[in-house]
Amino acid sequence: MKDQLPLNPAARELDAPSADLANFPPSSRWDDWTEFDPAQWPRRVEKHYSLIPTICFNCEAACGLLAYVDKEKMRIQKFEGNPAHPGSRGRNCAKGPATINQVNDPERILYPLGRAGRRGEGKWERVTWDAVLDDLGERIRKALVEGRKNEIMYHVGRPGHELVYNQRVLHAWGIDGHNSHTNVCSAGARAGYAFWHGMDRPSPDYANARFILLLSSHLEAGHYFNPHAQRIIEGKASGAKVCVVDTRLSNTASKADYWLSPWPGSEAAMLLAMCRVLLEENLYDREFVRRWVNWEEYLRSEFPGEPQTFEYFIEVLKRVYSQFTPEFAEKESGVEAAKIVEVAREVGRAGSAVATHVWRNAAAGNLGGWQVARALELLTVLVGAVNTVGGVAPNGFNKYIPTPPMMPPAPNVWNPITWAREYPLAFFEMSFLLPHFLKEARGKLAMYFTRVYNPVWTNPDGMSWIEALSDESKIECHACLSPTWSETALFADYVLPMGHASERHDLMSQETHAARWIGFRQPIMRVALEKQGRKFAFTYEAHREAGLGEVWEEDEFWIELSWRIDPDGALGIRKYFESPYRPGQKLTIAEYYRWIFENSVPGLPEAAHKEGLAPLDYMRKYGAFLVQDQSYKGHEQSVPAKELDIASVSPQTQVVTAKGSPLGVQIDGETYTGFPTPSRKLEFYSRTLHDWGWPEWAIPSYIKSHVHRDNIDVSKGEMLLLPTFRLPTLVHSRSGNSKWLYEISHKNPVWLHPTDAARLQVNTGDLVRVQTSIGYFVDRVWVTEGIRPGIVACSHHLGRWRLQEDSGGERWSTAVVKLQQAAPGQWKMRQVHGVRPFASDDPDSSRIYWEDAGVHQNLIFPVQPDPISGQHCWHQKVTVTRAAQGDRYGDIFVDTNLAHLEYQRWLKLTRPAPATEKLRRPLWLPRPYRPASEAFYVDSGK
Amino acid sequence: MRYGFVIDHERCIGCHACTVACKEEHQVPVGVFRTWVKYVETGQFPDTRRHFGVLRCNHCDDAPCIEICPTHSLFRRSDGIVDFDNQRCIGCKSCMQACPYDALYIDPNSNTAAKCNFCAHRIENNMEPACVIVCPTQAIMAGDLDNPGSKTGAVIASRNTSVRKPEKGTLPKLHYVGIHPDLLQPAQLAKQNGFLWADRREMPTTSGSFNAATTREVYDVSHTAPWGWKIAAYLWTKSIAAGALLVAAILMGIFGLQGSVVNVISPAIALIAVTATAALLVFDLKRPDRFFYLLTKPNLRSWLVLGGYILMIYGALAAAWLSFGILHDSVPAAVVWAAAVFAAGTAGYSAFLFAQARGRDFWRHKWFFCWQLLVQAFMAGAAVLVVASLELLHPGAVASLRILLESSLVLAAVNLLVELVLPRRTDEERFAKRFLISGAAGRRFWVAAVILGLLCPLVLTVLPNAVHAATGIAAVLALYGLFWFEYLWLRAGQSAPLS
Repeated sequence: MKDQLPLNPAARELDAPSADLANFPPSSRWDDWTEFDPAQWPRRVEKHYSLIPTICFNCEAACGLLAYVDKEKMRIQKFEGNPAHPGSRGRNCAKGPATINQVNDPERILYPLGRAGRRGEGKWERVTWDAVLDDLGERIRKALVEGRKNEIMYHVGRPGHELVYNQRVLHAWGIDGHNSHTNVCSAGARAGYAFWHGMDRPSPDYANARFILLLSSHLEAGHYFNPHAQRIIEGKASGAKVCVVDTRLSNTASKADYWLSPWPGSEAAMLLAMCRVLLEENLYDREFVRRWVNWEEYLRSEFPGEPQTFEYFIEVLKRVYSQFTPEFAEKESGVEAAKIVEVAREVGRAGSAVATHVWRNAAAGNLGGWQVARALELLTVLVGAVNTVGGVAPNGFNKYIPTPPMMPPAPNVWNPITWAREYPLAFFEMSFLLPHFLKEARGKLAMYFTRVYNPVWTNPDGMSWIEALSDESKIECHACLSPTWSETALFADYVLPMGHASERHDLMSQETHAARWIGFRQPIMRVALEKQGRKFAFTYEAHREAGLGEVWEEDEFWIELSWRIDPDGALGIRKYFESPYRPGQKLTIAEYYRWIFENSVPGLPEAAHKEGLAPLDYMRKYGAFLVQDQSYKGHEQSVPAKELDIASVSPQTQVVTAKGSPLGVQIDGETYTGFPTPSRKLEFYSRTLHDWGWPEWAIPSYIKSHVHRDNIDVSKGEMLLLPTFRLPTLVHSRSGNSKWLYEISHKNPVWLHPTDAARLQVNTGDLVRVQTSIGYFVDRVWVTEGIRPGIVACSHHLGRWRLQEDSGGERWSTAVVKLQQAAPGQWKMRQVHGVRPFASDDPDSSRIYWEDAGVHQNLIFPVQPDPISGQHCWHQKVTVTRAAQGDRYGDIFVDTNLAHLEYQRWLKLTRPAPATEKLRRPLWLPRPYRPASEAFYVDSGK
Repeated sequence: MRYGFVIDHERCIGCHACTVACKEEHQVPVGVFRTWVKYVETGQFPDTRRHFGVLRCNHCDDAPCIEICPTHSLFRRSDGIVDFDNQRCIGCKSCMQACPYDALYIDPNSNTAAKCNFCAHRIENNMEPACVIVCPTQAIMAGDLDNPGSKTGAVIASRNTSVRKPEKGTLPKLHYVGIHPDLLQPAQLAKQNGFLWADRREMPTTSGSFNAATTREVYDVSHTAPWGWKIAAYLWTKSIAAGALLVAAILMGIFGLQGSVVNVISPAIALIAVTATAALLVFDLKRPDRFFYLLTKPNLRSWLVLGGYILMIYGALAAAWLSFGILHDSVPAAVVWAAAVFAAGTAGYSAFLFAQARGRDFWRHKWFFCWQLLVQAFMAGAAVLVVASLELLHPGAVASLRILLESSLVLAAVNLLVELVLPRRTDEERFAKRFLISGAAGRRFWVAAVILGLLCPLVLTVLPNAVHAATGIAAVLALYGLFWFEYLWLRAGQSAPLS
């Protein structure tokens, strides 16, 4: 794969082919590839494979996989990387090859299940897909017909239909029913980025950077772990220096030239101190800032009586940030002032080739975490490293979303349970508050789908989720679309097995680097069998043949369900699920993607034609397509003259509009497309924040976190718990079915600095009790120099559990627990036993040697929504003590009454909509599944 | 043409992708690894660092595993890859002792030894190994080390590289760039009661309170000691077997003793003990059904094979001695001489076998160990004959045997002193010695092996006018002590981490 060249040709030295070995089979031989069987080696026994690409589904990065289908056994032998994939370039992290564990997992669910007893009782019976689809279809139809549109909710954790598939479905149904996981994850960073440049993610060009500043752990986790790790190391190999800001010692920090371990929540102060150094030492890109920052708007609004000049703006900047001396930053963060200055100078020296990134980390941990992203972006903007070679692009420039056929219009509906009026600026749905919203009777749900979403386990305050999910008056029907058991599936009415990475269609595009690509996920066994001449109407039929039970793919599930909701087309839904090629007939999944590849991906039909293939066949063969390479300067595109003819330029803002929609912005007489912000520029000053009730935070600033040092009284045994970090081998609650990942990592002890361990008189392996405002957990200690004194840290991903011995949880990774409610809202969980070997078709299940499944820490966290970004602020003020008499490993206690009080306390921090024009949310601000503009107004959309 | 790996730890991010890709390619069972990533941490906050080490077979040009493998299951290909054929493997685990790098394991599906084989099946298809293609940061390179045009050859020609334990003389073909030196010195690492995100399967034998001044091992995979009580018992029965006829020969030659003790009892004991020895060896095999491969697929450089032959010949001589003793009441001198020579061989050959275990420094003083085994054989032979003679109420034999037992105990005590003061050259040896005398095995060692098993019988035998009963107790204690000595010495030798 050709990569961008400009700054560091050395970065690709390693890509040169070795003297004699190839890294991947040539694509010309993918249909019939021969390899020797390693199991019978050194006897040379040939095996024949069909190589079919798909997309990994373990993290969000959407790396390419190449499935090796054994032609004789018609089974997937292994997954390697897909060399044709522009993002992952044939390489994977540990989770890629572990996909085979998920496919062959003896614990997986192969047939649809319906609950037999009370909800949550753990009794299940096999049901037919037909009966399930009829029941769900009827419930949804009834709700739609009766105008209860907001009672249908599709709640997805890891989006599987990233590229508008499900938006198409829900909008066809005419509902605003999408809910996500985003604000337990990235809402903080997203908000910070979006207020700057209208796009909510960064796309750093690591490979060409001269300095890399990470507030993330992208060498081991993060969202595009493998594609980013490749490029960070490339950048490093060609001389880039790396600085990692992370309170705990991550693997990423270990590879850095500078590891800064701040007191959590002080990051913005540190970054603003760096900005101050750039300003004071004249290390900023004056011309870039003058042209692309909305300083004029800032001066106009905040300093109307002063000179409206760029020089004055710089003066103001210096004044505003003068308080952020390196010494102040040191006081706040504990990081040496000299180190902060040194890093700032490195940033200044690297200029426009500074790749910065904050994701989760500080932005997800703290009240005001979104300002960390604002502060980081200020640093990036000051050196002009936006959309540059080696800099950072807003993600939209490096991503490509093809339009599907028959896109329904956005409905005029607004769902106040997901888009609550208290959080008009949130990124995105206030998903983790759902139990509290239901408790407050803000609504109920007639039909609730969960998909790759495990709120009981992943979200804070899981016990409140258990209470909500158990209440059939609040959630009338819950269908969990999942190939494996989860803590949430235990509280469903239906558990419906959907395919793993290699068992369904999907289209992906991620901003992994300075390019735009699409990746195609495919149901491998269906494709393999169809290559042999078999034909299937549905993927599950192929799965039945391949020994994968009746695992459906959700693309087909939604088409089928939509037909059952509207069998005669009277509701106007069915027409969106009819074939664009065979009028009136049911849309097949092949037709859906065929249409996209033929009509919506520039360059793809031509590339396919060159190989004598139809576009769909080209994608079936390669699984990925590079739409654009070397994507830089996305904001400096010129507006076509034809459009300019009818446009008008605002004399005050120089924003160019035509027919009411913005086209770009005029700078020094030239018109550029700019950024999708109201000013079309980079918004140092956010008029939106100003107008929506937060004038004090309209520019990048430092908000003292809820876990600021001043709020933690060490003398009382209080500490700060950092509960967010991920491991390189696991991903949330989706890797418990991978034996090879779990044998590497399976426990999450509490990290404690030796001085704290000495104070508590504990050693590695001893038990401590960690108490929040709503409960406590008991975990073992890991004494380490990898954490700041005063902080305890505990990894996310571990502490999975099940309630029954033989069902309801992956036995590779769950402990059996007893869950009791001592009094209303007083929940106690105690481990009966940890992970144990078990008998199955896989002899490895009897070889399990780990007992520890970790401790489920998220249960004891109250919800702490940031009033602006809506991000759950993960960091916790805790009291850490030696375990009490009778405490056992894994014990958990939670009081959901206290949890609701905490919710109310945080709710009081909000400044609800409407602020202006009776809007529920600024019209320009990104929103997934965006309804019609009329729905944004309080009085409409009812 | 010499295939080898270069692993660049400036690029490695410790992600374990290689571990899992390897497991997938070779369907490696849970619990064992062909390649793995070890983590250590150095320094104090905020200057702490974590370092990664990708560990696996080094495809040594002088591979000790090949030398010791009794059935040529392990072999070096002409392209330099050290490969294996699990259909020849008898599961003796000696390769695991020979390898200084913990590269081998027993596959629980086939019960045979396995390790990284450089994905030889892929190499012959002109494809890079599975760990190479998966690596996100291209930290792992595989190629012809002799060809400066290959990636690996170029790195070796142009950069500083290091290998694990070059002092072992194995000529490893896995070269590291930028690996932290402490990852190459496993015996020096501080251990904790667990790992940062995993259980530790064996609790560390030495774990003090947290010490930030040392390098800490924070993640690793488990490597269990391949040899346990069966091999200790094998050494013990072998000492008895060898000693029975060595002592009998001395009783005949020096003390002029005749009769059933030397003619029948001794060879009978020798025969039973040598059979037991062979049985223990076979039962310790992971594939006992393949024990005859020692005869049909022998590696004549392996002391496991040579030792097996010595045991067989010795067994035959003991049987001949016994037949003469029973049928003719006397044993020809030729048989006695031959038996004595093979008894010495039976006792001493293990020293050469253990010395072939190049992974275990503690065992590699072969001449001293050989002498020690001879003394132990004398002691065991004398002791077991004391017990037999007491049973048979044969006072004459007991008196002579007491002298032999006493002298062998004195020699054993001297040997012990030598063992204790012998200069230990490597970290591993020092680690093992600490384990034996002051570590996890310390109490057992001093109480069972030294005080009860050596000093007490010594005192009992040197007591003037010692009664027969005292000699008998001394003999039993000596045998008891010998077993514990063998067992703990065996464990000590395997206590130091190799990786």
